[in-house]
Amino acid sequence: MTATPTRIVRVDGNRAIPEDWYPGTVPDNAQIDATAYVGSSYSFQRCRSELPIGVEIGRGASLCDATSLDIGARGVVRLGEYALVNGARIICDTEIEIGDYSLVSWDVVLMDTYRVPFDPDERGRALVDGTFGANPARPIRIGRNAWIGFGACVLPGATIGDGSIVAARSVVAAGVPPYVVVAGNPARIIREQIRAR
Amino acid sequence: MSAPSIRETGRWTGGALPTNVRLGPGTVITGDRWTESQVFRKFASRLDPGLVIGAECRMDGVLFNVGERGRVTIGDHCRFEEVFLIAEQEIRIGSRVIIGWRSTIVDADFHPLSPAERLRDVVACSPLSAGIPRPSISCRPVVIEDDVWIGPNATILKGTRIGAGAFVEPGAVVVQDVLPRTRVLGNPAKQIGEV
Repeated sequence: MTATPTRIVRVDGNRAIPEDWYPGTVPDNAQIDATAYVGSSYSFQRCRSELPIGVEIGRGASLCDATSLDIGARGVVRLGEYALVNGARIICDTEIEIGDYSLVSWDVVLMDTYRVPFDPDERGRALVDGTFGANPARPIRIGRNAWIGFGACVLPGATIGDGSIVAARSVVAAGVPPYVVVAGNPARIIREQIRAR
Repeated sequence: MSAPSIRETGRWTGGALPTNVRLGPGTVITGDRWTESQVFRKFASRLDPGLVIGAECRMDGVLFNVGERGRVTIGDHCRFEEVFLIAEQEIRIGSRVIIGWRSTIVDADFHPLSPAERLRDVVACSPLSAGIPRPSISCRPVVIEDDVWIGPNATILKGTRIGAGAFVEPGAVVVQDVLPRTRVLGNPAKQIGEV
């Protein structure tokens, strides 16, 4: 598949993607490089960021259409240059950064917050009242040229070093150093020093 | 004397509910372009009721795959998102439970574990079987108590009980009971703390 840059147009004052299958719009605080590919406005359906820039999509990056950016009022998601995100669920209340040349596969969950109180009584009250206040969030940083396999979960505060690989269906709850392969749930290092010889 | 109040009941945005489904007031079952038509596509329960959901629940894109003898019961104030509920016997979920995106709750093995039995089952599943009955499949109810939180991409397997207030981390695979107010992670899920 070779994607072509997406030409975002103005329709009745809203930003739209031509021939979009989803009847939505692209929020004004999504800064999308003119050379980036964005499959559908579906990805922005849950984007509620109130920051001047809530989504940043870099030069030559791709955001494929089954991806959902579930971004809270103070959240920002950044895709670096040439980053490719193909069908992930991104839950962000503070900051999620996907580095240049990194790959994020389908059914991956990147979450910088649990969005609920850990205390079950507090959580129950929030559900009954319908008022979820601010819950702690810790940024996720994925370095350059990393690869997150399908169905993996990256939990609040986790970091993935440059060049590292997270195997499919792994759950990453801590820091992954550069140039390693991690696998399992919880994820552990299964290969080190994978830097090109 | 004032007129009796008309109790509002829940609804499915996708159309008319199967007659053996009971939804409490304020409960809404929705779906998006992909999931809307799938919600009850594999709902085959012949029990009445086969699905009961309490009040004020929000079920977005949830798949109710319930076998002929299966039943699913859900309490009040729950929120599930694109959850796969697969019940051949019984899935019982309490109140104020949150289950995250693409999690699976299943009370059965689908097919027999013994190779010989499984071979018979595969043949019975074939279009060539001419209605040979399938061998029995192992099922054990799943119970999820009040105030449980289950993250996205988690799997809850048959015969497990998740105690009240427990916190199941994203991607966890639960194969044995989870104690109340504990936090579990991993495959298989292991306790990593208390809440």
